[in-house]
Amino acid sequence: MTPPLVLQAFRQPGALTALSLADWDLLLRQARRSNLLARLYALLDERGLLEQVPQKPRQHLEWAHAIADRHLQAVQREVGLIRKAVAKAGVPVILLKGAAYAMAKLPPAQGRIFSDIDIMVPKESINAVEAALMLHGWAATHHDSYDQRYYRTWMHELPPMRHVKRSTVIDVHHAILPETASIRPDPGKLRAAACLLEGYDDLRVFAPVDLVLHSATHLFHDGELENGLRDLVDIDGLLRHFGRLPTFWPELVGRAQELELTRPLFYALRYAAQMLHTPIPPETMEAAGAGRPGWPVMTLMDGLFGRALLPDHPSCSGSLTGTARWMLYVRANWLRMPPLLLARHLFHKAFISPKAE
Amino acid sequence: MTLAELEFQLKKTGIFLQTGSFITHLQTSIPGVAEGIGLLYADYPLLEQTDFTDFHVSLAYPRTLRRWFKPQVLFLFDGKPPFKPLPLDQAFPMFEWGLNWCVSSHANHCLIIHAAVVEKGGYAAILPAPPGSGKSTLCAALVNRGWRLLSDELALVRVSDGLIIPLPRPVSLKNASIDVIRHYEPEATLSRRISDTMKGTVAHMKVPADSIARAAETARPAWVIFPKYQAGAATRLEALPRARAFMRVADNAFNYSLLGVRGFETMAGLIDASLCYDFTYSVLDEAIETFAELKPPVSLM
Amino acid sequence: MSGQALHIRVWEDEFIVYGSLSGNTHLLGPVAAHVLSRLQEAPSDAATLAESLPPLLQANFDGELVPEIEHLLADLGSLELIERA
Repeated sequence: MTPPLVLQAFRQPGALTALSLADWDLLLRQARRSNLLARLYALLDERGLLEQVPQKPRQHLEWAHAIADRHLQAVQREVGLIRKAVAKAGVPVILLKGAAYAMAKLPPAQGRIFSDIDIMVPKESINAVEAALMLHGWAATHHDSYDQRYYRTWMHELPPMRHVKRSTVIDVHHAILPETASIRPDPGKLRAAACLLEGYDDLRVFAPVDLVLHSATHLFHDGELENGLRDLVDIDGLLRHFGRLPTFWPELVGRAQELELTRPLFYALRYAAQMLHTPIPPETMEAAGAGRPGWPVMTLMDGLFGRALLPDHPSCSGSLTGTARWMLYVRANWLRMPPLLLARHLFHKAFISPKAE
Repeated sequence: MTLAELEFQLKKTGIFLQTGSFITHLQTSIPGVAEGIGLLYADYPLLEQTDFTDFHVSLAYPRTLRRWFKPQVLFLFDGKPPFKPLPLDQAFPMFEWGLNWCVSSHANHCLIIHAAVVEKGGYAAILPAPPGSGKSTLCAALVNRGWRLLSDELALVRVSDGLIIPLPRPVSLKNASIDVIRHYEPEATLSRRISDTMKGTVAHMKVPADSIARAAETARPAWVIFPKYQAGAATRLEALPRARAFMRVADNAFNYSLLGVRGFETMAGLIDASLCYDFTYSVLDEAIETFAELKPPVSLM
Repeated sequence: MSGQALHIRVWEDEFIVYGSLSGNTHLLGPVAAHVLSRLQEAPSDAATLAESLPPLLQANFDGELVPEIEHLLADLGSLELIERA
């Protein structure tokens, strides 16, 4: 069976220029389904290949890029406002996931659309951060006292907070996994290794190895599979990007052991290499084998992930079908909201004149 | 192609429809869709097979038991439904609404305004308006009196040059305006009425063949006119300050905010190029007369 | 405001302002537009801004000018068009 076009695209972007129009049609459908259209645009743009894409498919890529571009702008602005709000609390703030990729200009930033900004702060500062955010217009979204207690007692984060004017959402974490999880990577270690964001003296992102481990944990431990392929492409992008640093590969597996994340790292390396042909040094692959599960589990996982990580498109045989994914798709915000309402909602109007009309 | 042949092809391989610059692949086995397509899309280029399709859509039955006691229809965009299902007899209008969604949520090389657009002598009149303003009625009347239809629902202002790209598709008429147009132009072809939709009773009017034949011809924006049908009102065309027009058009745009500064620049260009008016009317003939007397803006270039 | 690019179009005596930071668009009257363009040149305060208002625009106000300008500055600040020190 030939692998789906979207996998081939990320393995060998250079070969895309040889695609026929009919291939482009199929590739765009697979990429759209995996939320990878804007990423595909960036992949071609980086290599100066956009001009060689036929006009029609190029237009589709540009449509997706326009959305991603605007999103990136909105994220930068939101992070700026969050930073201002918590400045007085004097708490070290670490940006996580999408916000981290966007602000550190890492490969996964390209075309990742997300609705929440995630930050991590020390557990003992979480109340101070919450108070600072509330002072600047963020309010709790879960008013139910049960929900509040659930989050505060069992989760690794505050209940999501929404800004009353902008409706943007922030998740304030103190760890990357819930207190109840079977593995508990030490947040202190993650914080200690975090790096300052270029151009800032008060915003940090995880160290390169930790960024990869967090991403792997999210996909392979939390089981957040609705954007499976997109998340794997993120991991592939991070590995290719940081792989150029001399210390990256030698540190990776040791760090995973230190943080008890060898299993998700093993899966991430295995499937990135298998599906996207991510270049991984053989000695790293071998060392990461420490996180390999026993063979029955391995066989099961290969089957499950092998399907779940493919685009959920009829053209990719073996892709997961059924109500679960279907429901997730319908739930997505951009489909539920009629475009006109969305435009209204985003379009903040004001008329200022010293004279009342 | 006979209706039976069309129905067969829709069911088997689907058809490739070219509307404006977009190609849509439609596949469905739901009866009644072929009737609407055959009646209203007879003059459009029907491609036998094409390598690249902008929108792969289908109309299908939802996979629930509901099918057996209250049949419904789903609009699917490449297999996924952007909306909830509707009663089965609304399949054809749903295709029209779904296609509007396809264009308005993707075509970001244009500033997309919820508006009708008609053209004469190379100059376009943009009629943005919230539902209920009589925009479509006025648009239907105009295209039966010598104006070319660029679009009934979506004004596509190209970001790169500010020109308007045609997207001539059937004109959607609602409630009383169906009979108004039937009397106004008995020659017009209208689809079967469907009642109890979320917009009331709807019917679609076939686009004049000339507008379809000239679907590749762009037009220069010249007027932005906010129509308002008001029973018994005198015909009144009032100049609208451009800055106010800017805000009101932006309020009717789908992707103004999304386009960021490019949206702002495109909108500013559109407003600069146009004379802006509020237009109140109750008698269609008088409205047509007012439009016939519109003078294009004097260019300062 | 750092990183802010304001895009402005003028039609008759009304102004449309697009703030690149917020991505929002606003319709401003002549006084607000005057104050905004002054502040783009250099930081200032309400008293100085009030003084700089051309007489034609001063006629817009019945009462004390400075508090009105203060109020306007607060509005412009909440729209993220200006930054208050």
